[in-house]
Amino acid sequence: MAESAPPRKRSPATWAVVTILLAIAIGGTFWVPIYARATPFWGDFPFFYWYQLLWVPVTAVLCMTCYLLLRRKPGTGGREAK
Amino acid sequence: MSHVNTVSFIIVLVMFALVTGIGFAAARWRPAQDRMHLNEWGLGGRGFGTFISWFLLGGDLYTAYTFIAVPALVYATGAAGFFTLSYSIMVFPIVFIFASRLWSIARAHNYITPADFIRGRYGSRGMALAVACTGILATMPYIALQLIGIEAVLIVLGVTNTTVALIIAFAVLAGYTYLAGLRAPALIAFVKDTIVYVTVIVAVIYIPMRIGGWGHIFGSAATHLKVINPLTGKPHGSLIVTPAGEWAFATLALGSALALFMYPHVITGVLATKRRDVIRRNLAALPAYTAVLGIIALFGYMALATPAVNAGVKAHANNTQLSVPLLFEHWFPSWFAGIGFSAIIIGALVPAAIMSIAAANLFSRNIYTEFFRPGASAAEQTRAAQWASLVMKLGALLFAIELSKTFSINLQLLGGVWILQTFPAIVVGLYTRWFHRWALLIGWAAGMAYGTIEAWRTPGNGQHHFGSSTAPVLGHIVYIGFVAFLINVVVTVVLTLIFNAIHLPAGTDETQQAQFTADPEEAPVTVPVGAGVESP
Repeated sequence: MAESAPPRKRSPATWAVVTILLAIAIGGTFWVPIYARATPFWGDFPFFYWYQLLWVPVTAVLCMTCYLLLRRKPGTGGREAK
Repeated sequence: MSHVNTVSFIIVLVMFALVTGIGFAAARWRPAQDRMHLNEWGLGGRGFGTFISWFLLGGDLYTAYTFIAVPALVYATGAAGFFTLSYSIMVFPIVFIFASRLWSIARAHNYITPADFIRGRYGSRGMALAVACTGILATMPYIALQLIGIEAVLIVLGVTNTTVALIIAFAVLAGYTYLAGLRAPALIAFVKDTIVYVTVIVAVIYIPMRIGGWGHIFGSAATHLKVINPLTGKPHGSLIVTPAGEWAFATLALGSALALFMYPHVITGVLATKRRDVIRRNLAALPAYTAVLGIIALFGYMALATPAVNAGVKAHANNTQLSVPLLFEHWFPSWFAGIGFSAIIIGALVPAAIMSIAAANLFSRNIYTEFFRPGASAAEQTRAAQWASLVMKLGALLFAIELSKTFSINLQLLGGVWILQTFPAIVVGLYTRWFHRWALLIGWAAGMAYGTIEAWRTPGNGQHHFGSSTAPVLGHIVYIGFVAFLINVVVTVVLTLIFNAIHLPAGTDETQQAQFTADPEEAPVTVPVGAGVESP
């Protein structure tokens, strides 16, 4: 997913990290055989349920990380202040 | 049911009156210089920041589908219904990839609808018309589904003449949508989400305590799901997805996630934001709603574990849509059940308003102005959209009242199959112009045809046609929309190669590379020709 605006282009490393994080976020619940089972239980919750519910905050954190990596700081010419 | 639950009913009436007041007052909220411009009526002035957008998108994405249809599916089939949770987990990372590009190009060229973008990008009126019609077609049954959600609550409340109640509710909704445009649902979304969150949090703590704990809920659900369905000779469902159901689960989740942000009302929510940054920040914050969806899906099991709900569903001709309203009625005191019912009703009204606005924008911009009144002024476009929003609601009302309920819900499934066919043109178009416009149009037609015919041929739920959104393909049960999407992509790629080889004219592209990442501060008022765009 190459953004082709040269002046504000993030480094390829940043894009690689963002791509990997988003792929993890999407793949986590796409691959059903990982979690289509009852054990281990968490309290009374079968694995199938708590695994999916756990991915809700995990996805939020992954997306937030990507947002921070790609954020444009006003006044810094679009470069991230490091 | 003959008697109306007076306390619950009064609470619902009070909440409805409150929301109506807010809806009409919204016309004067953040007043615009030029009210009769489609940017104002149809996109709320394109000025919503992170906070309002979060509520607006939440109000947009989480509808009667979430509050009624998802728990009904879980109630009827068990784990298979949880694809909706997987789908709403996946949707935000997927949208994270392309939504900000769509926002930027729409801001640079003053695009109000997805079809505007297709017309500008591919120089193709035909493809733009296809996208506009698909959007309107897919939205109509979605609005009807909102009405069915409201109706489910009215039935449990004991309202005998639900048709009259629905007509009144929709007439009022039509009134303030006509007047205030997108500002009305944006403002009402605050009320909606407050009572939704309160209801859901109270329910998830209080009901399991009363029933006897989560262990009992899962155990009781498992027992009920094991019962053999006399129609199919198989169990109703299972507590864990079976290996045979994994393909359907995964393709339904991924297909629905790809489709969601193609719906015109969701794109409207994205384009109404003020800055490019707002979208990505929101996509990181929106999973809070996904947690709510997960809890609401579990309501389906709570309902299975409540004998009174099972009896109530049976008494109403096995209408599983009633499971959540019945659950509230049984466990909550009347006044709090009233709050819960209001949450479902307002949770259906907000998206219904946004959907009718989005479909009206499509009609005004891409059908009325494009084909019948080229050069229509901004005010005339807005008037056309206002009237179209009324017609959309009337159409949905007829859908919900005249057609059988199962049929409306099947059409909603079909809506998902259809809207997914606009994905290649819109999303791939945000990155590359490689696809040929005629290849896209034929690919779209192939996907639409396959999806519609396959859905028509699929029996289920005691019906001969439109019985299910999944069908066997190559030995696996998969989502029809997903297969249609793959066919669409393959046809588009093959034909693009052919059309490029024979040098079929590709049409003009009015977009520029830099505009896809631009972040212009001011909303465009008139169509700029690459001007007014900050260098990125």
